[in-house]
Amino acid sequence: MKQLKNYINGEWVDSGAKEYGDIWCPATGEKIGEVPFSTAADIDKAVQAAKEAYWEWRCTPPLTRARYFFKLKNLFEDAFEDISRTLVTEEGKTLDESRGEVRRMIENVEHATGVTTMMTGYNLEDIAHGIDCTAERQPIGVFGVIAPFNFPAMVPWWFLPYAVVCGNTYIVKPSEQVPMTQTRIFEAIDECGFPEGVINMVHGARDAVNGLLYHPDIKGISFVGQSATARYVYKACGETGKRVQSLGGAKNFVFVMPDAELDRSMPSLITSFYGCAGERCLSGSVLVPVGNVYRDLKEKFVAAARALKVGNGLQEGIQMGPLVSKKHKEKVLGYIEKGIKEGAKLILDGRNIKVDGYPDGFYIGPTIFDEVDPNMSIAKEEIFGPVVSIVRTGNLEESLKLLENSEYGNATCLYTTNGKTAREFKYRAVASMMGINLGIAAPMSFFPFGGSKGSFFGDIKGHGREVFQFFTDTKVVIQRWT
Amino acid sequence: MALTTFGAIMGFAAEISGKAEEIYRVLTQKANDAALREVLRGLSEEEGKNHDLMLKARRENVTEMILEPVTGLHQEDYEIDPKAADAADDTGLLRAAMMLEERGKRFFKDASSKVPLPEVSRIFRKAAQKKEANLAKLQGLGLSQTLGSSG
Repeated sequence: MKQLKNYINGEWVDSGAKEYGDIWCPATGEKIGEVPFSTAADIDKAVQAAKEAYWEWRCTPPLTRARYFFKLKNLFEDAFEDISRTLVTEEGKTLDESRGEVRRMIENVEHATGVTTMMTGYNLEDIAHGIDCTAERQPIGVFGVIAPFNFPAMVPWWFLPYAVVCGNTYIVKPSEQVPMTQTRIFEAIDECGFPEGVINMVHGARDAVNGLLYHPDIKGISFVGQSATARYVYKACGETGKRVQSLGGAKNFVFVMPDAELDRSMPSLITSFYGCAGERCLSGSVLVPVGNVYRDLKEKFVAAARALKVGNGLQEGIQMGPLVSKKHKEKVLGYIEKGIKEGAKLILDGRNIKVDGYPDGFYIGPTIFDEVDPNMSIAKEEIFGPVVSIVRTGNLEESLKLLENSEYGNATCLYTTNGKTAREFKYRAVASMMGINLGIAAPMSFFPFGGSKGSFFGDIKGHGREVFQFFTDTKVVIQRWT
Repeated sequence: MALTTFGAIMGFAAEISGKAEEIYRVLTQKANDAALREVLRGLSEEEGKNHDLMLKARRENVTEMILEPVTGLHQEDYEIDPKAADAADDTGLLRAAMMLEERGKRFFKDASSKVPLPEVSRIFRKAAQKKEANLAKLQGLGLSQTLGSSG
């Protein structure tokens, strides 16, 4: 059984862990490896290596730093299929979804190479008589990321390339549920030849997380995961004086207006709710037919959901894979039970789906509840699975109210052919990522990624332009030579 | 089997190109007519490049945000018959080549309207145009006068 290693100071090293976690293939239900639950001492080794590497790396010209990423991009292209398949094997999503994720990972590398433009400061002469002022962006030190299970390739790369290209050094803590993908990615990093200690990876769970959060030499943390943990991370970073961007969970509402083009919208609606088996913070979770579109929408949506091909994501053509783990499957099944108990009407039941050849996989088929009250758990809480709740509203005003009342503010989508309605929605809806006639409102690397309310803790979000600010300090220099 | 995803379409495009490359390689070795041999060799090389192009297009254009289900494309409508490589004389070889090009043209033309990505759609359209030109080239070889239409 494969036991993973940490990558510290340019070398693959054994963890000092006494405890190991199991890595599963969700499609088959088989154990495929073991991941060390590294200790705070392992984290400290990585921090010392990153700290040691920092000054020389910080003094390396930005364009030279960017060249490492040009090379890394090509290495990623060479390893593209291998990374994608590793991801499917341990996470369960489909090949297309994995390839799409790896592509988005690479796009962050591409965007980061614009450092010579993105990292520049600004200046003004004569801010007072004979006195000039410059604002210079400087790297800060050692940063780290604590990554979630649902996008094991991409999420660390919302942060890492920007941090490192700005002259910081870095530590990645992959999710202990899906650590093989990032391990494969680090093989490319190793081949790329970054100076030792610039980029490090430590596997682990709670101890490793706390090791990062409470280490005095770590200057900032990026986190993506559940809201409860995001809050914890935010608080810990506040206590220890770290910069923090902490992205939490979601409960996304997708509104369909009576004037929407249903047939044209259906593929995108299906992708929104069932893409990545619903295990994404941008997934639609509550489908809201507005006004008299209800009957027609429900009929078409249920038919399209029923037609989805569920199976092992490694098979080309499969449209929805399993959930990431047995434990998570049980959690989602628990929500389905809760929905039934709370009085919602189960109109498509994915609980007993059978996937040929994979009786032990962690599958749940597309599931739909109708007649859901907004106060039911399934309409309020993050399920993170292929479970859709249909909540009806009479008009746009009622729809906007639903969003306002939600604990979360990650993403929302609207389907309409009316520009005025779209404008009104865009202007007033309380969510930070928005799709109009699009089911997955995923900002690309050159726009910021992150929500609001209970979905985000911090101020500067993932990637985009602003992330260069997160990874630099603006030093203001005021000079008088006259 | 229905080709219902972007990956399935691109994978099939690469697969038929790879198969055609192999068949053309076999046909090239059998050809007696020098001009036909050269054309077949060229087609084999073209299919090899096409195979790599399809995998590159899949890798570079997969767009996670719009991985939407595709309908109306079935691989059995475009499958390549491996028996095409069994052709024995030059007329048979030519007929096999025309069949391959015709199938390919039809697939790339149909698939170009199914993929919601302009870059990939353009690659498919160009592939279909090339196949159209190849068909004309094959017909121009003169040997084809006895063949009639192929499907």
